[in-house]
Amino acid sequence: MEVAKLRAARLLWARVMERFEPKDPRSLMLRTHCQTSGVSLTEQDPYNNVVRTAFEAMAAVLGGTQSLHTNAFDEALGLPTDFSARIARNTQLILAEETGVPHVVDPLGGSYYVEALTGALADKAWALVEEVEALGGMTRAVESGMPKLRIEEAAARRQAGVDRGDIVVVGVNKYRPADPEHVDVLDIDNADVLRRQKAKLERLRAERDDAACRAALDTLTAGAEGDANLLELSVAAARARATVGEISDAMEAVFGRHRAVVRTISGVYGAGYAGDESYEKVRADVEAFAADAGRRPRLLVVKMGQDGHDRGAKVIATAFADLGFDVDVGPLFQTPAEVARDAVENDVHVVGVSSQAAGHKTLVPRLLEELAAQGASDVVVVCGGVIPPQDHRFLADAGVAAVFGPGTNIPAAAADVLRLVRDRLPAA
Amino acid sequence: MTADAESVVAGDRRALARAITLVESTRPDHRDAAAALLDELLPHTGRALRLGISGPPGVGKSTFIEAFGTHLTGLGHRVAVLAVDPTSSRSGGSILGDKTRMERLARDPSAFVRPSPSGGELGGVARRTGEVLLLCEAAGFDVVLVETVGVGQSETAVADLTDLFVLLASPTGGDDLQGIKRGIMELADLVVVTKADGDLAATAAHACADIRRALHLLRPRHPEITPVAMVASATEGTGIVEVWEAVTAAHATLRGSGALERTRAEQATRWLWSEVRAELVDRLRTDPALAPVLADVTEAVAGARLSSRVAATRLLEAFAAAAPAPPR
Repeated sequence: MEVAKLRAARLLWARVMERFEPKDPRSLMLRTHCQTSGVSLTEQDPYNNVVRTAFEAMAAVLGGTQSLHTNAFDEALGLPTDFSARIARNTQLILAEETGVPHVVDPLGGSYYVEALTGALADKAWALVEEVEALGGMTRAVESGMPKLRIEEAAARRQAGVDRGDIVVVGVNKYRPADPEHVDVLDIDNADVLRRQKAKLERLRAERDDAACRAALDTLTAGAEGDANLLELSVAAARARATVGEISDAMEAVFGRHRAVVRTISGVYGAGYAGDESYEKVRADVEAFAADAGRRPRLLVVKMGQDGHDRGAKVIATAFADLGFDVDVGPLFQTPAEVARDAVENDVHVVGVSSQAAGHKTLVPRLLEELAAQGASDVVVVCGGVIPPQDHRFLADAGVAAVFGPGTNIPAAAADVLRLVRDRLPAA
Repeated sequence: MTADAESVVAGDRRALARAITLVESTRPDHRDAAAALLDELLPHTGRALRLGISGPPGVGKSTFIEAFGTHLTGLGHRVAVLAVDPTSSRSGGSILGDKTRMERLARDPSAFVRPSPSGGELGGVARRTGEVLLLCEAAGFDVVLVETVGVGQSETAVADLTDLFVLLASPTGGDDLQGIKRGIMELADLVVVTKADGDLAATAAHACADIRRALHLLRPRHPEITPVAMVASATEGTGIVEVWEAVTAAHATLRGSGALERTRAEQATRWLWSEVRAELVDRLRTDPALAPVLADVTEAVAGARLSSRVAATRLLEAFAAAAPAPPR
């Protein structure tokens, strides 16, 4: 499938480019970078990820990618260690220098199956291209939130399939190891990272020629007002040692800041579960709770800090809503104080923090402090996302009620959350 | 006053949030407690400008309210936004994204944004929203915006809770105008054509002129004020000041002519009757003493052995006989 995807992409690229009547035939050639799948990485039995990543990388090479990023096997647990990064790199070296697959152009071309798949994919993808065109182009489509919504829809459907066991994930919902392997995960000391980054910034600011830097940034701002080549001006600013933040600010002064349209879907996750007994049981429990408490359990799903990975949060939101929760979805890049205020104003029972960028050890304790400061220490806080097992204890000590890693079965998690909320409910 | 009521009046966010939860609760003991709390707070209510805002999906309600609300807090107002979500799904859980779409306003210290789940029944939501509005007034908010997505029925409900009703319309020309139902247009004291910027500025102006013409042909909701149409752009910040000026002017007219007091009195009476209706239906449905009669007549009506009118009379007679309401 991945091979066919790349082949279909090349076909469509050429089709699109032909319209512009390129003078150089090389403009018709699509050049691609591929990264192995992050969503296929599992927290459970993580050495399996070495195998998954190797297969994915192989598919990319067979499909004819020009450059390749292989994920480290421990990225569902935390940020990669030197060891896991070396295995990821060696996966590429073995593909490149031992297997011989890169020596042939389009080795699967002519296979009846791959050709049929390529054709079918190209047709479906073209229909999507036309849909986007009908919306007025990709910029408009992104503004409308349509592409993101489709991705989240697909993710919710897939999650339901995995939770039900219709989609097999070895070591997660089938062939689970009785005695899980222990993996050492990179420990990120956020305070230390912050200190070092600040020191680096100070050094940079002390050593650079401030006047030249300022001038380059001003030129960039002026360029943004006109229609100059901003990439060129950004490179010049970077050469003058401007930081990425300063370069962005220089353009934000003119363009403003993009604000993603938060759109949410409902019904997709639940549709995958129609008639399932354990799912219906959780839903019945939620209804019983609503009858007892006078309202549905209310969950606030949040993303804090510099962490824009919100697909997981969206899947959780739609799945919990389908299970009968009322779900508030917070905006991206919130501070702990803002989250606490939202939790207080919306009077939620539980805050679910989705963390994918290793910020949980500083941000989550801050959130708990803020909740307490705003008189809401009774709100249950749970975490999900990429959280290394050795941090679970730390979070529990800080007051987090539960941590759900990747590969968590959502109805089971919902049942846990409901129990936690019930426990905290004042006796009627 | 009880401690809870005092905290609400003192402007404590958490107290207000919890009071709203209490008012929205479906549990009978909560409803009694909510009624008692509202009773206590009633003297502190009535001082806000109550503004309903609605429009079809995709018209840019949240974006407009964010720009509008931020303008108001900048003028020193305290603004509460109640976002009512009338969509109900099969499982009953809602995803509440309105607050996220007004990120800046939600962070504003002078604002309070509370999205409320539908709970499935449209009438029920509006019924509670009226009470939530009173709570916000008691907590010292002097402008309360009630937002709802335009799906037909919900506008009527929101218009009936508020002093003035603003209808947002999309700029995409005449086709859309026909999309706004006449009945909805009649509710509007002000129609704002949104997204009047960039490529759409000209189309928006055109749509605005169309709407202005259409408004002339309709009977205004308040005879004292003439409904107006204007354009605004939340992204460019244009038209926002003018909308607020139009709103305050209309409100002053209503207040000055005594129409405001009259409208609110009429609304309160209608709330009373809808409370009576809802409560009565609830009791008829759930009173164990009536269960046998209810089952009998339901079956007879379903089997076409009894007309629904006779069945209703029989049920009500049983109710009158069974329940001389116990003194509380």
